[in-house]
Amino acid sequence: MTEAVSDFNLGETIVFWVCGGLAVLGALGMIISRKAVHSALFIALTMINLAILYVANAAPFLGMVQVIVYTGAVMMLFLFVLMVVGVDSSDSLVETIKGQRFAGLLLGIGLGLLLTVGIGSALTTSGDIGLTAANDAAGGNVQGLAQLMFDDYVVAFQATAALLITAAVGAMVLAHRERWTPRKSQPELSEERFRDGGHPGNRPSPGVYARHNAVDTPALLPDGSTSLDSVPGPLRARDDVRDVDPADVDEIRELTKGVDS
Amino acid sequence: MEFISPELDYAALAPMIVVGVAAIISVLVEAFAPRSVRRFLQLVLVFTTLIGALVLVVLNSGMRVLTGGQSIALDGPAWIMQGTILILAILGGLLMAEGGVDPSGDAFAPRASALPGSEDERQFTIRGYLQTEVWPFLLFAVLGMMLFVASNDLLMMFIALEVMSLPLYLLAGMARRRRLLSQEAALKYFLLGAFSSAFFLFGAALIYGYSGSIAFGPISFAITTKAGENTLLLIGIAMLLVGLFFKIGAVPFHQWTPDVYQGAPTPVTGMMAATVKVAAFGALMRLLYVAFGGVRWDWEILLWIVAILSMLVGSIIAISQSDIKRMLAYSSIAQAGFILVGVVAASPQGLASVLFYLIAYGFTTIGAFAVISLVRNASGEATSIRDWAGLGKKSPLIAAIFSVFMLSLAGIPLTGGFIGKWGVFAAGVAAGDAWLVIVAVIASVIAAFFYVRVIVLMYFADPTPDTAAVVIPSGFTTVSLAAGATLTIALGIVPQPILDIIANAGVFIR
Amino acid sequence: MSQFGLFGTDPWWLVIVKVLGIFVMLVLLTLFTIWWERRVVSRMQNRIGPNRVGPQGLLQSLMDGVKLALKEEILPKAAHRAVYWIAPVISATAAFLAFAVIPFGPTVSIFGVETPLQLTDFPVSVLYVLAIASIGVYGLVLAGWSSGSTYPLLGGLRSTAQVISYEIAMGLSFVAVFLYAGSMSTSQIVLAQEPIWFAVILLPSFLIYVTAMVGETNRAPFDLPEAEGELVGGFHTEYSSLKFALFFLAEYINMVTVSALATTLFLGGYLAPWPISLWESANTGWWPMVWWLLKVQIFIFVFIWLRGTLPRLRYDQFMKFGWKVLIPVALIWTIIVAAVRILRDQVALTNTELLIAGVVLILILLAGAWVLQGRAERREQQRDADRAARAERQLDLVPGAHPVPPMPSQTFEYTPRRSALLTTQATMKEAEDA
Repeated sequence: MTEAVSDFNLGETIVFWVCGGLAVLGALGMIISRKAVHSALFIALTMINLAILYVANAAPFLGMVQVIVYTGAVMMLFLFVLMVVGVDSSDSLVETIKGQRFAGLLLGIGLGLLLTVGIGSALTTSGDIGLTAANDAAGGNVQGLAQLMFDDYVVAFQATAALLITAAVGAMVLAHRERWTPRKSQPELSEERFRDGGHPGNRPSPGVYARHNAVDTPALLPDGSTSLDSVPGPLRARDDVRDVDPADVDEIRELTKGVDS
Repeated sequence: MEFISPELDYAALAPMIVVGVAAIISVLVEAFAPRSVRRFLQLVLVFTTLIGALVLVVLNSGMRVLTGGQSIALDGPAWIMQGTILILAILGGLLMAEGGVDPSGDAFAPRASALPGSEDERQFTIRGYLQTEVWPFLLFAVLGMMLFVASNDLLMMFIALEVMSLPLYLLAGMARRRRLLSQEAALKYFLLGAFSSAFFLFGAALIYGYSGSIAFGPISFAITTKAGENTLLLIGIAMLLVGLFFKIGAVPFHQWTPDVYQGAPTPVTGMMAATVKVAAFGALMRLLYVAFGGVRWDWEILLWIVAILSMLVGSIIAISQSDIKRMLAYSSIAQAGFILVGVVAASPQGLASVLFYLIAYGFTTIGAFAVISLVRNASGEATSIRDWAGLGKKSPLIAAIFSVFMLSLAGIPLTGGFIGKWGVFAAGVAAGDAWLVIVAVIASVIAAFFYVRVIVLMYFADPTPDTAAVVIPSGFTTVSLAAGATLTIALGIVPQPILDIIANAGVFIR
Repeated sequence: MSQFGLFGTDPWWLVIVKVLGIFVMLVLLTLFTIWWERRVVSRMQNRIGPNRVGPQGLLQSLMDGVKLALKEEILPKAAHRAVYWIAPVISATAAFLAFAVIPFGPTVSIFGVETPLQLTDFPVSVLYVLAIASIGVYGLVLAGWSSGSTYPLLGGLRSTAQVISYEIAMGLSFVAVFLYAGSMSTSQIVLAQEPIWFAVILLPSFLIYVTAMVGETNRAPFDLPEAEGELVGGFHTEYSSLKFALFFLAEYINMVTVSALATTLFLGGYLAPWPISLWESANTGWWPMVWWLLKVQIFIFVFIWLRGTLPRLRYDQFMKFGWKVLIPVALIWTIIVAAVRILRDQVALTNTELLIAGVVLILILLAGAWVLQGRAERREQQRDADRAARAERQLDLVPGAHPVPPMPSQTFEYTPRRSALLTTQATMKEAEDA
């Protein structure tokens, strides 16, 4: 894995075609799939395959960092948000601007062709130095990177700190909901719940006296009356509470006669 | 292998170090200072820093150094642009500090995180909360701009571009009034900005593929030595330019401009319109002249097209605008086109003329937006041009000052804008682009129409009940406005000192 | 690259032997660990534990595994088939892969070929373990999501948040090791601990890592993704049969992996511990593998011990601990380590001077902690005073205790609501009278 070979090498060729193909498939899948989560998974696939290609190209540090940072953290957070928000159904596919999808496709293909032809033609003419030579010049891949980052590009490296601080503060500014009343502590909350006449525990469930277990059927209390507390609030608000069959009540009264009281 | 610690020219980097460190201190103030003193501390910190950095820039202005490897070039033009950015940032900062114009606070939302129209937002407004995080953002943006004009390396340039842009995206979304418009503007700015950054990065990668380096020196060397195969180079240049054209707001990469100019808080719009133009043109010229000077004939055509499109599209669409901020946005697009005429000249004369143009344009723009922040009605700023009718009779002084700015933007003699345009067009003619200058002159005439129309409306229309009132600002805006107006006129009447300074600065070092 | 000497030079059959060896060892270790865990936890809980199948019940987990594989496979109706199927595979594969870079011993001779007891190594192999771990999380998260059910989804989300958060602290705890070893390759790090283990000189890093590794493997007391009291089984609630077995396998292999990594980075890997290291051939031949296994077993015992001892944390407390305690401490410690290195290597301070500086630093930290403690105490007192004042305003059936509704026989003498009611009634009565 460490030994990079600049001339033809069977293993590397296989790795290239397999991982390159999978990366392209992932990229295509990402834009084609309708489910946001599937898109995220496809892009994760692309990233992992790119990482393998980096490693195969004698850039192990880059490959690993790519997986840890992008696949492991960034895409994971994407997935996290997608799952929390539940963006499950595909977006509306109505075009707001007429013909933009076609135009976009056309321009995209055009750009792709331009780049493919341009880069392709350039590759046939330009020579290469060799990965091993490039890495060994600094005494290893990691050492070479360190040399670049902490010497030539030390200012750029530190400037990224400004970027990260801005991003962190910006995220706080845009997303952190400040409170304008002091936060209630747990004892305060529970005292409040008890004092203001709230129901202290669980609401009664349909229970043993209920004749149905549908949510709109109120529980029967031992005296045969119904407990509206057992029906969810929204249903009560809509007056969607099922009536109790008096025959059922009588039957229960009959059954429980002498058992209680 | 032994690691050798980098040698940095700390004296030359001092202005940027000061701004960067102050920005971090400013964040710490946000974290630890009690709310009641935050605004005061931030104002003291920000203005001390900016003025201190300006003094350092002036003291350093004789230096011509490459430092940080080869990645930072601090030469004459860099010092001039850093100084300009700092002065404009001070004036823009004064506008942002204004707290007496809006009855409920400054120009920023009390808490940007509160949902527009929510109870939270109302409570924060009543309690007089202020979002003082705008100050670290301002400092970070200034740091990014200073780095942007000095970057001599594609990687450095990209990071500087982001350091500059990210705080601006945030600031654009924090307007106190018309929150949704502001948030939409920020989102558009961010998404399109990220898109253009991707182009820039892709371009940088292709240039690396071509030359084996991302530093300007080696790129320029590769161009001179590698004759022939330059497909990668050309595609790379085009993609880099897309990224930079976006920042200067040139057609066809201008779509964000009107929305962002309109939605962002007016002080931010003013600050951004002035400083980003300076920074982006500075970076563009350094990139084109230092790195790609050898293939001038190839990128010239691209710049011609973009310049012509910008001038014409900006001028013509501006005519139909009914919102003063949008009108100024299209005007800025047209102005970008005019400045490109100087850039495409690719001569020391062109460089000098562009620098002067940027200075004059910056002061005028900040002043113009300062006026806009003062002209208000019950719902906030009166940005509809119709509401400005008869302003000359109601508030003659403000109308007169605004007229000066409009005349300067139109390029009428005795204003800074005239000298700027003159210089740029002269450089264009000298470089043999006479036909481009003719187009530019035509566009100027079209542009003059809508600038003058505002003046006519202010003076020759009768005030209606809808006519906005001018709010008397506190010292902050007054100073900024006065400086903008004075410098706009001074640059038109006695431009020589500034022209001398620019002439002494020389050209970009390699 | 010369520093990796014999790596990458193995003949193909030896690579296959090593791969099979690791695979078999991991599966056996899993079976053993499950049995060991059940026995130890039983012991701690005054039970006996599995003792029927095989000697001392050693074959119990093997039997359980066979039984599990023969169970019926249930595919929930709402599941996303492909993802549901691939999630356990990702989980288990990642678990096995991470072991490729763990060194079990020095160079030995296998069938006449000189080779290190390690599948492979490269300049960033510790990062490789981190990378594989972060791919492994996909298994949990996708299992949670694809089950199409609420509890698994919550479990999956929890595990994502948990692993990402604790991976930061974990990564930071490595930095000091990298600084001292001068390498990120596992074999080099082991060799760099020849005179003294990093657990000794970098004790805070070691403690941070040990804490983070428990969080990273979703084990008690940090086993929130599968908190059975809240989430049934967490991400694997809807899984059954072989797929469930894969998750089970992955969890135990992960335990072994993080223990092996801890051994490699902090306990000198396969190097013999001190009294044994006096024996000259302790670090030659196949002996080191024994030391390695013993050290890993110590960590696994700690895992089991924790599970037998500690109750599960509340989720928000757990996240707060990770972000507000573990990561800042790790950051500060990293800065201290870097500063000490610079002071010693470049400013050339002597050890005495460094010691004095260290003592001063600790004093400053203690003073800071004292001040903070004082503030916290004052706040506590304030809160108590507030509570007392509130209690005075209302009737407390048992003063200071949690308020409960009154029993039928009890009446409130005074509460704000009641007093308001009484006042209203009084005024109404007065009005009627008048």
